[in-house]
Amino acid sequence: MSELTHASAPKRFVGRQLLGSSQLVLGAILAALCIAISIAAPQFYSEANIIAILRQCALVLIVASGMTMLIITAEVDLSVGASLAFVGCIGMAVLNSTHSLSLGMLAALAFAGGVGLFNGLVVTRLRVNSLIATIGTMMMLQGGVYLFTREAVQNHNQMASFTDLGAGYVGAVPVPVILAALIFVVAYITLRFTTLGRYLYAVGANDKAVRLSGLRSERLKLFAFVVTGLCVGVAGMILSSLMNAGQPTAGRGFELTVIAAVILGGTSLLGGRGSLFGTLLGVLVLKVIDNGIIILGWNQDLQMVVPGVVIILATYLDIIRNRANVR
Amino acid sequence: MSLAGTASAKAQPSMLARLFARQELALLVCLLLVLAFFSVTVENFFSVRNLTNVLGQASLPLIAGIGCAVVFISGEVDISIGSLLATIALPLIIIMNDTNSLLLGISGALLFGLIIGLVNGYLTAYAGINSLIVTLGTMFIMRGGVYLYTGQRAIPDDASLDSFIALSDGRLFNVLPYSAVIAIVLLAAFAYVMQHRPFGRQIYAVGGNQEVARLAGYDVRRVKFICFIISALLATVAGIILAARVGSAQHTAGLNFEFQVVAATVLGGVSLAGGIGSLTGMALGVLILQFLSNGLRGLGLPTEWQLVITGMIIIAAVAFDEAKRRRANGG
Repeated sequence: MSELTHASAPKRFVGRQLLGSSQLVLGAILAALCIAISIAAPQFYSEANIIAILRQCALVLIVASGMTMLIITAEVDLSVGASLAFVGCIGMAVLNSTHSLSLGMLAALAFAGGVGLFNGLVVTRLRVNSLIATIGTMMMLQGGVYLFTREAVQNHNQMASFTDLGAGYVGAVPVPVILAALIFVVAYITLRFTTLGRYLYAVGANDKAVRLSGLRSERLKLFAFVVTGLCVGVAGMILSSLMNAGQPTAGRGFELTVIAAVILGGTSLLGGRGSLFGTLLGVLVLKVIDNGIIILGWNQDLQMVVPGVVIILATYLDIIRNRANVR
Repeated sequence: MSLAGTASAKAQPSMLARLFARQELALLVCLLLVLAFFSVTVENFFSVRNLTNVLGQASLPLIAGIGCAVVFISGEVDISIGSLLATIALPLIIIMNDTNSLLLGISGALLFGLIIGLVNGYLTAYAGINSLIVTLGTMFIMRGGVYLYTGQRAIPDDASLDSFIALSDGRLFNVLPYSAVIAIVLLAAFAYVMQHRPFGRQIYAVGGNQEVARLAGYDVRRVKFICFIISALLATVAGIILAARVGSAQHTAGLNFEFQVVAATVLGGVSLAGGIGSLTGMALGVLILQFLSNGLRGLGLPTEWQLVITGMIIIAAVAFDEAKRRRANGG
């Protein structure tokens, strides 16, 4: 309880807050990881490798930005992985038939936003627990995508603008990284500096108080669901551009990676507490680990084991730090 | 006693309504409707062979569902059971291949399962980490560990012990699959413990209101700790049966199994919030989903449609349940 009130209180002492924040632990982990990997494999700091890491972070960060908002309102969306695959197929199919990137993009956003809206309505109107509601949606989407297409939707017209979405560069920076940065900044500003952002925290911390103070908590949650959906729409298009096809099997386990990154970043599953900056660190830690495993030539199956250990360890360190603060 | 007597006398006309308000009865009606619908529409659906087959298939989610429900009732979640299925198949098959002994293999598997339960339980109950995070973590660790160890190849069961094969093929009196018998026995035992033994009531108390349970002198941490061990051990039993069925240790065994079990458990009226629900409800939830997917297959519908319809039914059922609960609470 004390954690919740602490989180929604106005943040005055920046220095103290930084010291007491879980970001510090995470930042230290990230720094230690980078140092350790670069000692073992100096090519870690090459420009090509850093760009590769950033590109891999982009997809997760885009969806994690929306998911952070959603988890802050004390809800969760497990359907993002299944939706990611479906969106890619639909976007590619529309692109093939209309030869228009904007129409393809629009279809992807409309579909993914629609999935978010559906999840949000089921959770807020029908009051179904979001974990269960989105497991249900996940099943429907996993089945649905195979009804839509049995095999990958190939890219027929090879539009340059579409290929650039995933593989292009602006200067030295990959396009997906720029898109991720844009979405991250918008989400960050919304959460940190706008009334809407503060309301999202409030809904997660104390839903009832928000309702009693005359705000519509359902709308705020619905908003977070739709934003998460739209983020999946963008990520799905980038993914299908990267793979040059819409893959119905894409995105398996993606939801868990995204949620792991958000949780690792210190956002509480109970709602009302967390930050996008933490999420950014969480994504970076997970992807630096992935990258380290590859460039050190270790078995790639470790890419599942190590994040599992890190999530538990980071949460545990956070708990110990909180206890120390209370004392 | 007299109070209850007058109450029921007053409520005589609404006896039926009150019965229907019971979660289990509503579920039973649903199950009967499913059975009736497919008996009419699908040939050979209502045959002893098919019904017992489905019971055999349902045994895995039933056994693991007991653990899932117990953990839910204690107010926590365990989503590591799918990965656990794949993990414990390794010691089982490897020990059996080496020693030709089913008993040693099963002991090895149960020991592994016990360790996993101890870890999940310790990290949740004593270290105080959110159980969704803990079991998400161990889910990754176990699946990754299995991939690492097997190099993503199945390890076949070379021992081919008759007793092991009987776990998948054997039928009691040539009718009921042994796996279903195991499921029913475990279900009955745990249902008795949950309803009639002090420990079962402690689990409900802890999940219903942790603070009150603590003040009542229950060791909340210990209760939760034990619930995770129960869940892991039961998932181990399910994993052993699965390994017998596929005749090998598969690295992909149990993928998405946790979602299937969680969905059935919640469909059965066991609340994620803790303290609410029963094992009977969970079992009915599992049976509804299993008969549904069997019937839909009988209708010639592809697996994809089964997924879609199952997803819709889970959402609709929980939404319906929630609406009923709100009406019962007068708003």
